[in-house]
Amino acid sequence: MMKVIQTQELYKIYNQGQENEVRAVNKVSLEISKGEFTAIVGPSGSGKTTLLNIIGGLDAPTSGKVIIDQTPIEELKENDLINFRLHSIGFVFQSYNLIPVLNARENVGFIMLLQGMAEDEINKRVTDLLKSVGLENQMEKRPTQMSGGQQQRVAVARALASKPKFILADEPTANLDSKSTGDLLDIMEHLNKTEGTTFVFSTHDQRVIDRAHRIITLEDGKIIDDVKVN
Amino acid sequence: MLLKLAWRNIWRNKKRSLITILSVLIAVFLALLMRSMQLGMYKHMIDNVVGSYTGYIQIHGKGYWDERSIDNAISNDKDFTAKIKNTKGVSAILPRLENFGLLSVGELTKAVSINGIVVEEEQKIQDLQGKLIAGSLFKNSGDMVIGKGIASYFKVGVNDTIVFMGQGYHGMLASGKFKVAGIVDLKNPTLNKLTVLMSLQAAQDLFSATGMVTSLVIDKNDNARLHKVQKEIQKKLDTSTYEVLNWEQMMPELQQTILADNVGGMLMIAILYMILIFGIFGTVLMMTQERQYEFGVLVAIGMKKKQLQLLVFIETIILSLTGVGLGVILAYPIMLWKHYYPFQFPGDQAKMMENYGFSAIDPFYIQADLPLAHALLIFSIALVVSLYPIYIIKKIKPIAAMRS
Repeated sequence: MMKVIQTQELYKIYNQGQENEVRAVNKVSLEISKGEFTAIVGPSGSGKTTLLNIIGGLDAPTSGKVIIDQTPIEELKENDLINFRLHSIGFVFQSYNLIPVLNARENVGFIMLLQGMAEDEINKRVTDLLKSVGLENQMEKRPTQMSGGQQQRVAVARALASKPKFILADEPTANLDSKSTGDLLDIMEHLNKTEGTTFVFSTHDQRVIDRAHRIITLEDGKIIDDVKVN
Repeated sequence: MLLKLAWRNIWRNKKRSLITILSVLIAVFLALLMRSMQLGMYKHMIDNVVGSYTGYIQIHGKGYWDERSIDNAISNDKDFTAKIKNTKGVSAILPRLENFGLLSVGELTKAVSINGIVVEEEQKIQDLQGKLIAGSLFKNSGDMVIGKGIASYFKVGVNDTIVFMGQGYHGMLASGKFKVAGIVDLKNPTLNKLTVLMSLQAAQDLFSATGMVTSLVIDKNDNARLHKVQKEIQKKLDTSTYEVLNWEQMMPELQQTILADNVGGMLMIAILYMILIFGIFGTVLMMTQERQYEFGVLVAIGMKKKQLQLLVFIETIILSLTGVGLGVILAYPIMLWKHYYPFQFPGDQAKMMENYGFSAIDPFYIQADLPLAHALLIFSIALVVSLYPIYIIKKIKPIAAMRS
């Protein structure tokens, strides 16, 4: 299987060399292949979000390497890194982070506009994506007019819009009720099976962990377990 | 898309945006009315003083303005004037021959300025006919028209005779006996005591200066730029023989008066706009602080910082220019109204102004350059103010911003 994400001896150390030094990510080396449905789990403060931020190029490691689809991202300059994120990584955040002044259709289309896609292509893809997350009837609604679950589904559609190499989802179900969580996981699992979309979650939600195909457990920034689930 | 996003972002906080637009509107509205009144007054003064006699530009022999001697007169041939008349922006050329000498009636003598003019040409810039308070303009070479101050000094009226004596071109004796054809009120006490008008031909004969003039007064089109017309004329003339002066050079005291008054007006505008800068900056500062998280998200999902900076810049510009547009829309009808139906100065103030040659009104200035200048000024303010969010966005780190 083609490796989409590789990290090599990744460290993220705060207050390095001081008494209150914190190793948020401590010598993490992992490989995630295309099509995996991976959950990074662990208690609060275990370094899940920090690891995800570093993999997503949102934060820089203290040392170590992150290679995304053969590109060592720490070598990219700021603008190239933003461009890389735009084309290669889809983000789903805990608090959805949709653009409040845009409706669902515009939020999903926004990423494609940034990519410079033609309007016809955007319209078609937006419709397809919102259908795939079950929101074909909510396309004209703004975030404030939608429930948390619906907003998170728009966020997933937005993350998929750029045809990324993988999607990073940081605690995507943390603010959702059981029904919304179930619906969201169904959608993501479906996309993973049918489209081969690679998902990497950080979570401590058992409902997510139960659906993951691979579970990486972090504690104090270190990988203490990495299991594949059939 | 950026425009749509910017427009919707502005209306996320309707009250704040409306207050900002309103503050720009009020500042522009007040600034326009204030400046329109002030510039209108200056234009009126210039038109009165400059446009009605001195002219916007004059051509002389080199050195004439410093040493106003008839010996510095220039030849006024047709080819020469045709060449100047072809200059863009020149609407009329008025030849004048001016000299000084003594008028005498009985035992009384008075130094005066004799002005040889072509009435039909002068009529284009000054209403001499309208200034007549007795008699008529000169018809014969032996006629002269005198200012009412001279008439009062000599106690003479229409058809009385006055003797002139002076020096003509290159030391020739100039003397003659003239009939008072008319008396004018030039609306300026000094000019009324000094000015004698006669036909150009009569003056040239009197001063033995056939075909000569001391000044060619240039009137320009309303919209032509003074300095541009002056430069164009200068290009056509040999500047070692001729001097081309504009009214600011000929009447520096008038320009100084306007400049001094203008400084006060500018200071008021500066204070007004300083307050405005803080108003706009306050809004932009709040918008920037409130949206740090959102900026972080946008950069995280792949929006380039330059696009984000452009977005915030567009928001600032829309906010400012909407205020400018509305300010102009509200102020301009009032400016037009007060241009065509100007303020009339009351009682004594009106009399004083009329004595100094100004009609006692203040027609507002309505040229498009005024609102345009203010729009540009606000645009520049918006440009400077938007440097703050542009800087913040340049420095933004997505993770830090999303934690804020």
